[in-house]
Amino acid sequence: MANERLRALEDVEKEIAMILQCAGNIVLELSKDKHNASLLDRQLVQFQSSVNRVENELSGQIRYLTQVATGQPHEGSTYSARKDCQMALNRAEYAKVKLGELGRTCEVMLEQPQT
Amino acid sequence: MSDAATHEEEEEVERRKKWRHRVVIIGAYKSALLSSKEPEVCYLFLTTMATQRVLPQSKETLLQNYNKRLKDDIRSILDNFTEIIKTAKIEDETQVSRPTQAEQDHYEMHVRAANIVRAGESLMKLVSDLKQFLILNDFPSVNDAISLQNQQLRSLQEECDKKLTSLRDEIAIDLYELEEEYYSSSYSLWDSTDLPLCEAYRRQDSWASPGSSCSSTPGDREDVDGPPSQETNPQHHLNGHSAASIEKP
Repeated sequence: MANERLRALEDVEKEIAMILQCAGNIVLELSKDKHNASLLDRQLVQFQSSVNRVENELSGQIRYLTQVATGQPHEGSTYSARKDCQMALNRAEYAKVKLGELGRTCEVMLEQPQT
Repeated sequence: MSDAATHEEEEEVERRKKWRHRVVIIGAYKSALLSSKEPEVCYLFLTTMATQRVLPQSKETLLQNYNKRLKDDIRSILDNFTEIIKTAKIEDETQVSRPTQAEQDHYEMHVRAANIVRAGESLMKLVSDLKQFLILNDFPSVNDAISLQNQQLRSLQEECDKKLTSLRDEIAIDLYELEEEYYSSSYSLWDSTDLPLCEAYRRQDSWASPGSSCSSTPGDREDVDGPPSQETNPQHHLNGHSAASIEKP
């Protein structure tokens, strides 16, 4: 859920860049002697739709935050689960080390000539 | 010039006075804390130092500020763009000469374009602030992220422990055979107080069923008072058992 909202905000950033690009293209087209009317129309429609989309999306986000935000810091953490997992991995690593030692001991014993 | 220089000097002197005053306060706080005679004094110093900082805005004013910035920036973009398009219109009759009017229009378009870019950058900053606010204050998503992370870490831990447990069971079987082989060979040195795993299991079985005869493999006889082995073999510590001598049959 959080990723979706953050992705939506990233899309908004792209839309803002699109707004500036459309405005620039329109002015560039107007600066020419012969204007391409269809291009101007397309760019203008895109400009307006981008502006509306940006405004609606950001208003929606701010409205959602108004409902959800409490002003207090969040005190949850994943520390205990992370620590337990880390201990489990340490146990596995220790078992691996001990098995390695056992294996080496057995190999040494096998390599020694039988008396 | 001399007035400006004296004004700067006066400002510098003021700044240094304020800094010295703050250092004195911090020094007094430190001595009060070390003496620990007057805890109320320490608290007073702390709160005094704290109130000198700027207090953070409440969340309502912050969100209202975001709304205002959004509206202002969007309006700025639209108004400036509209004005640029209007300025681009060629007028036949002007009060000033054509070059002057052209120069003025050029400058105005330049400024309005800069305004549009500034508004766009301000919107980007607003999006960045909203992202930050969302990460810190969107409790439902933070709770979801925390619970998901906890779930993943716990499942990884359970899988790890399950594999270790199965590994332990397999190794116990192999270790039993290894110990049996080792302690029945000529290499082992063990004493009666320190039983190998296989012998311990046999004794446990015999205690569990006292009627049954306890069998022992050759070479595995317990010899408490037997003489030590003639061979000087290296002691190998398997499973933490200390090795002692046994007498060969």
